[in-house]
Amino acid sequence: MDTSTSTPNVVSTAAPTPTPDQPIVPQPARPLPPKRVTVKLADKHIFNEKFIQFNFELDEPHRMPFLAGQYVSIQVAENGDRRSYSICSSPSLDHRFDVLVDISPQGAGSKFLENLEFGKSVDTLGPMGAFTIAQASDETEIVLVATGSGISPMRSIILDQLHEKKDTRKLTLYWGMRYVEELFWQDEFAELSDAFPNFSFHPVISRASDGWTLCRGRVTDCISVHQDHDPKTGYYLCGNQPMIHDVLGYLEGKAIDKKYLHHEKFY
Amino acid sequence: MQDQPTDQNQPAVQPGAQPVPQPPGVTTETTPNGGVVQSKQIGKYKVEVIRDKCIGAASCAAIAPEVFELDEENIAVVISQDGNDDDTKLLAAQSCPTAAIIVTDTQTGQQVWPVA
Repeated sequence: MDTSTSTPNVVSTAAPTPTPDQPIVPQPARPLPPKRVTVKLADKHIFNEKFIQFNFELDEPHRMPFLAGQYVSIQVAENGDRRSYSICSSPSLDHRFDVLVDISPQGAGSKFLENLEFGKSVDTLGPMGAFTIAQASDETEIVLVATGSGISPMRSIILDQLHEKKDTRKLTLYWGMRYVEELFWQDEFAELSDAFPNFSFHPVISRASDGWTLCRGRVTDCISVHQDHDPKTGYYLCGNQPMIHDVLGYLEGKAIDKKYLHHEKFY
Repeated sequence: MQDQPTDQNQPAVQPGAQPVPQPPGVTTETTPNGGVVQSKQIGKYKVEVIRDKCIGAASCAAIAPEVFELDEENIAVVISQDGNDDDTKLLAAQSCPTAAIIVTDTQTGQQVWPVA
């Protein structure tokens, strides 16, 4: 069993020693190439007809340190075809990772995972991706905006920021879904908002019934009502392309500097 | 393939001389006229990005950073054909969510990825 100390998948490039007249400039983290790991399906949670959480246990090597918001590439066919999935579990558990999958498209990836047997080895590459909370920035507040399974990296980020990083900055989640029945993890997010006063959660339902009393419509509708736009708020978007386009357009209209806008292309 | 300048009056390899260790992938041959030809075996796979299909997911650049990078429009471009080995180049192509990377075996001319 690998008992080596866990290290994240980045290397901080050492800054040259500054001379007295040179300012110290933070150096960007350089991501390490992903590693090939073998994993086994350990558990799965079928939330509803659309969303399933798959929990994988690392087989070889036994650990895969990652950063909240990163993803893995899973081989889903004998011919080598692969699909990428954001990790939804906390980086504090580096002997395993969980992914959330929208199986409704019934593509190669979702079919493979739906039919995957417990204990069967799966070839995986990871971790990858730079959709992570900017650690060396001056962001004073964090806003996470997700639609559908775009919630996957957000859960990892929320768990990490609150439980591990002990981040006390205001952290707000807007999560858009079509129907109330599609929601999951809402109880966990509600418990987190009770336990951490800096965290708040806004589910946004686009096709809500009359009895729905919270946000309805698009996520931008909810953001425009509930969100103060401090110019140094960091926005992290993950979801379908129209949502990302809409929210970026809205925030640019609010004159938010692009350096505070982060988004993931897939999830 | 790269020709090495040699002294025409001297044989490339002195009789009885110990063979000089070569860097990995590099081979040296003596030509009939006494010249030395040093060649480096690079990968046999050639990669190509279909620009219109790329969504800038950057998995290729994460897996094979010496072969792919994103340009100013966040579209993957090939910066080198031999920065990473063939297996890594193929993995990078297979990880592309839109199958925007074509891998061709230059020795056979066959398309390796995406498979038909």
